Amino acid sequence: MKVKVERVSFVYHSGVRALDSIDLAISSGETVAIVGENGAGKTTLVKLINGLLRPTAGRVWVGNWDTKDFTTAQLATRVGFLFQNPDEQLFERSVEREVAFGPRNLGFSEAKVKAKTRRALQQVGLLDKAQVNPYDMQPFERKLLALASTLAMDTPVLVFDEPSIGQDAAGRRRIQRILAGLHKLDRTLLLISHDLDFCAQVATRAVVMAGGRLLADGPISKVFSQTELLAQAAVSPPQMVRLAQRLKLPGAPLTPRQFVHTYSAWRNRRKRT
Amino acid sequence: MRGNLLYLDKESSLHQLHPLSKLAFTFFFLICAAALPGLDWLLAAYFFLLLPLAGWGQVTAPFLRSSWAVITPFVISLSLIQGFFTGGETVLFSLGRFAFTFEGWLAGLTVAARILVALGGALLLTLTTRPDALMQALTQRGLPNSLAYIVLSSIQIFPRFQDRAQLILQAQQARGLETGGNLVRRLKLLVPLSGPLILSSIVDVEERAMALEARGFSRPGRKTSLLVLRDSQAQRLLRFVLLLLGLGLITLRVWTLFQ
Amino acid sequence: MISLQDFSYRYPGQQHFALQQLNLEIKAGQFCGFIGANGAGKSTLCYALSGFAPHFFRGEVRGRAWLGKKNISDLSLADLAGEVGLVFQNAFNQISGARFTVRGEIAFGLENLGLARRRIVTRVDEVLALMDLADLADRSPYELSGGQQQRVAIASILAMQPKVLVLDEPVSQLDPHGTQAVFKIIEMISQRGDTTVVLVEHKLEWLAAYADRVIVLDHGRLVMDGTARAVLASADLVKLGIGRTLYSEAADLARNKKLVSAPSHLPVTLNQAQALFQ
Repeated sequence: MKVKVERVSFVYHSGVRALDSIDLAISSGETVAIVGENGAGKTTLVKLINGLLRPTAGRVWVGNWDTKDFTTAQLATRVGFLFQNPDEQLFERSVEREVAFGPRNLGFSEAKVKAKTRRALQQVGLLDKAQVNPYDMQPFERKLLALASTLAMDTPVLVFDEPSIGQDAAGRRRIQRILAGLHKLDRTLLLISHDLDFCAQVATRAVVMAGGRLLADGPISKVFSQTELLAQAAVSPPQMVRLAQRLKLPGAPLTPRQFVHTYSAWRNRRKRT
Repeated sequence: MRGNLLYLDKESSLHQLHPLSKLAFTFFFLICAAALPGLDWLLAAYFFLLLPLAGWGQVTAPFLRSSWAVITPFVISLSLIQGFFTGGETVLFSLGRFAFTFEGWLAGLTVAARILVALGGALLLTLTTRPDALMQALTQRGLPNSLAYIVLSSIQIFPRFQDRAQLILQAQQARGLETGGNLVRRLKLLVPLSGPLILSSIVDVEERAMALEARGFSRPGRKTSLLVLRDSQAQRLLRFVLLLLGLGLITLRVWTLFQ
Repeated sequence: MISLQDFSYRYPGQQHFALQQLNLEIKAGQFCGFIGANGAGKSTLCYALSGFAPHFFRGEVRGRAWLGKKNISDLSLADLAGEVGLVFQNAFNQISGARFTVRGEIAFGLENLGLARRRIVTRVDEVLALMDLADLADRSPYELSGGQQQRVAIASILAMQPKVLVLDEPVSQLDPHGTQAVFKIIEMISQRGDTTVVLVEHKLEWLAAYADRVIVLDHGRLVMDGTARAVLASADLVKLGIGRTLYSEAADLARNKKLVSAPSHLPVTLNQAQALFQ
């Protein structure tokens, strides 16, 4: 499902202009990383997509729906949203009931709700804790629980706000695999993250925001290698990009594998000269 | 310092008074509100005692704004209720078989004036006294530290509850929760909206208790303070005089009631 | 300075021991990093070192924990405040709420310790300058950003001049700005050398830059203890669920392809990687 942000501006009640004439067109099945420092407008932008905020000017389209014609709960059938703090959602007495809350609200049959719940719990690795009380679990597990609740809603578009915070290496890999899996199912994914290395593993396109504007929008390897631009947005480049630039290598490797590839090609070229 | 305090930071003499002196004024005006015999006395107390004190504290405008903002609905409702339903001789106008009497109206206004004076005393305190200074004055006189902490932290943390409640509402809406609708539907919203608020607050309370321990809050023995509260013989005398006046007013009122 | 002898701890109501037979000794002035997968017991270890386990959480302790020559089990949390400082992830919950300015907040712990007012004023001013918080001194702590609040929390603990400072993932919830600011402070504290620092952290390249020593926990047990350089480059970290820095990964791949000479330790930081590949 495509998402279109058409010349959107957003001004808070306090008068703060959080977004200034943003244009963003996301095709169905894309995974887009949104980066920028706190206050750049990333969360404001994505909240416009599921209707939690309404644009002051311009329009937002989710598929063929204009968000201003639908409530947030209605848009929830199309857009799943993972908030940064899981403790702002959890209230049920068991993990399973918590995950079932979303799909049940969306009106799926009990059988479908059960199936989607199981599947989501399996994906995040909490199936064996289905009957545990969420507050008996550790914070990083509650974060995975919140992720499962969002996955269980089975929406064509998903927004993730800092999904990797507080996770260890195993947790990050798990989340990356889940995102890759969703991409294979042709879901449209929007990913807000401070961790560009994390983004580099899953996203194909990146958008850089600063001061309510888009500074860059393009293929991830191109955007993440523009260090001056990233510096303008107060974002540090991925680690491999930094290493490549220190060594003055051409190209913009994002992962260790890509780096070694770039390095080896460069070494070969140097040998020949 | 803002936060969400009503306190306004000014360089007035009233601000410099010891918190207990200001608290004494509050109690004095509370007694006035209860014990003064009539509307004229009450209005005199407001305009000739409270207002000048507010002026002395350089908070006249906020004082007036807040008193009238709170008292206006009371004036209207009490006037109507007492005007129509308290007996009297002088009928000003009628609505059907209900007569609005002057005496009734006066009675209503008098009750409203009592509220105004009591409120004025409380406002004077809140506008010119830092809550932590007040709590410190009280703990020095024996108020338990834990009670003082509860008061102070509630002032600061309660607004965060409101922020968090808003975030919770958004999170649950994003999970398909429809808000609005009939009473039954709204009642069903209670659990998914208050649940996370209460549960996450419990987690927070535990962590905050740890933070307090880490700062030695449970340490027995005398605590010192950064804030210096200046008292004086003159103020102690003032508080004593106010106490006497207050007792005197109560005695007078009780005596006239039994006449 | 602080040591554990065959130390085990179990939370009340739980079957398994969150910490099992830990033996470690941290000397005064050392900077010791703790790493481990989520659930390995890192936070519990922080609680054990600061006395919260068992004094706050109750539960069962076996073995001994020493602060200098004193047994931590014999000291109350009130005794330990001012000796061992604990800073944890959530900055907001570490603001006491009892004071309305940053200055007041930092003084709060010193007031509880019963310090004379003049000394409180001096210490607070010192810490405000040290932590670059002087221009926020009269603001309400609740109006600050997460990174600023965490700095206030650290300042409030540091003002009490603890011998040991334990930080449990202090930057996990912060954005890059806040993270930088907090790490700068931790670096400065460790360089002054008068405080023993224990830091639980996921970002291995940060530990590599500042820690003298790194300890690895797995399922409540201490499985590795050595210099930062040695431990952080170890291939075993992947098996233990901790992972490696991307620099180590790149170097490992390059080494396997014989593109670089095999180093004694895989690089963990950007600088180390640059040195290897150049």
